[in-house]
Amino acid sequence: MERAAAGGARMSAVLDIRGLRKSFGGLVVADEITLSLRPREVVGLIGPNGAGKTSLFNLITGVVRPDAGQIVMGSTRIDGMTMAERARSGIARTWQHARSFRSLTVLDNLLLGVHDYPGDSLLGSLLQRRINRKREREAETRAMMLLERVRLAHKAHALAAELSYGQQKLMGMARALMGDGVCLLLDEPMAAVEGRTYAIMRDVIQEEAERGQAVCLVEHNVGFIRDLCSRGVFMSAGRVLADGPVDELMRVKELKALYFGAAA
Amino acid sequence: MPIQYLITLAMLATLSGLLAMSLNLVLGYGGLLSVAHPMFYGIGAYSSALLAMHAGAPVPIACIAAAVICALASVPLAACSLRVSGDYFVIVSMGFQLGVQQIINNIDLTGATGGLNDIPSLFQGPFRDVLSLGVLLLAAAVVLLLIRTLIHGPFGRALTAMRNDESALAMLGRDPMRMKLAIFALSAGIAGFAGALYGHIFLFLSPTQFGLESSTALLTMVVVGGTATIWGPLLGAVVITVVPQAIQFLNLPVSISSPLQGIIFSLLVLVFLFLRPQGLMGGRRGGGGLDAWSGRRLAAPA
Repeated sequence: MERAAAGGARMSAVLDIRGLRKSFGGLVVADEITLSLRPREVVGLIGPNGAGKTSLFNLITGVVRPDAGQIVMGSTRIDGMTMAERARSGIARTWQHARSFRSLTVLDNLLLGVHDYPGDSLLGSLLQRRINRKREREAETRAMMLLERVRLAHKAHALAAELSYGQQKLMGMARALMGDGVCLLLDEPMAAVEGRTYAIMRDVIQEEAERGQAVCLVEHNVGFIRDLCSRGVFMSAGRVLADGPVDELMRVKELKALYFGAAA
Repeated sequence: MPIQYLITLAMLATLSGLLAMSLNLVLGYGGLLSVAHPMFYGIGAYSSALLAMHAGAPVPIACIAAAVICALASVPLAACSLRVSGDYFVIVSMGFQLGVQQIINNIDLTGATGGLNDIPSLFQGPFRDVLSLGVLLLAAAVVLLLIRTLIHGPFGRALTAMRNDESALAMLGRDPMRMKLAIFALSAGIAGFAGALYGHIFLFLSPTQFGLESSTALLTMVVVGGTATIWGPLLGAVVITVVPQAIQFLNLPVSISSPLQGIIFSLLVLVFLFLRPQGLMGGRRGGGGLDAWSGRRLAAPA
């Protein structure tokens, strides 16, 4: 883990957040946030409830627009883009509550994760049927491989609504990986997940980081963060209070008092 | 006489079917409750008639042009659906509906409240009604096939996902806004084409034909037939067109028979929403149509 952090620091960032600000009326959810996500790194966003962790994800993915500041991917500013454009430029995200497309099958859920598919548009769907069939087969192969990885291949044709909560989170993870992004944001991937699902999720996250993705996750499970994250970012009241190796963060008394308290 | 009557009834049912199928695209598959659909029917009817009367366009060309005009006219309304949804969108669409109706009511070009006469006919001669019915049935078959292909394909899958969770879909790189614009344009185009055919078959247009009463009738057809089903709207259109005709055979005075129709429509909608919300053709509930609409209303803001 230490090795990954040291190696990552020298690599250029996948995502650069500079001076990001956002407030809803008097509530400041992002106060001059500056943060870089680098390839092969697993960054854990930690902090008490209401610290602005999920809000930061919402700002990065375009669910909400920042009041000020920049979000840069590679050399492109993405903070003016729509959610869909940001996703196509390489940001993938999972949600705290899986947000499955419940009336579709597991396989169809994943197939929707492919970018640049002529069948996505109304006319493309009707007119480019041969290309569509070809792309559909390619996408299905890819989806089945991902379902194997999260051990859901046997559920490919089940409706998403029929999956257990843990399985839905695994499906959400696989769906986020369909687009071949470079930056993976995971909102509480381990919340209400245990046992086998926990192990599968951990392995997938680790593999994705090793493949070169910049992974950033919000998580309350301290054991999991110690286990997996090379770097921790401590947030409170919309501000980044500390940014460094997880073990060091855990030794800081003030942060413990703010968050770890009884857990540490 | 009875044959003539049956042909006319069949024509009206098919026209309603076309209109209901097009509304179902927006309501059932798009999850957007718009009451402004007869407006596109009206815009289509008037544009095609006027193009044929004043610009000398051949009737088929005028009909196609009307479809294109309606597809374009749908953009402002669809753009509103990107910002407001649920009840608010119903009100916005109602505003569009009433606004366009008032424009038609007040300009000379459309004949104002007096209506538009002398519209060129689609066919001439003794078989004009049979031929017209044939064209309508053909149009309905083509639209049915088009919708079926679209819904069973990848775009249909994306639409279902959009009704389930719009943000989650956007996060996968799909643009729900573009999808809504596209589905609205297609839907309005079909409605406009149907309206154009109506004008060139019945040869008279009046603004009252495209008012809120027809919005309710249309909505009833889709709900009774089954939102987000392929055949439902067509079936609903036939039922809702034929039932009021049956009432007329009872020989009731107009003062009773016309409110009776309203009562029957309202009762049908209520009965279906309570007892069979998926409509006549709906199987298990697929999160479509009114489901998506009411679901969004009930969902607590995250």
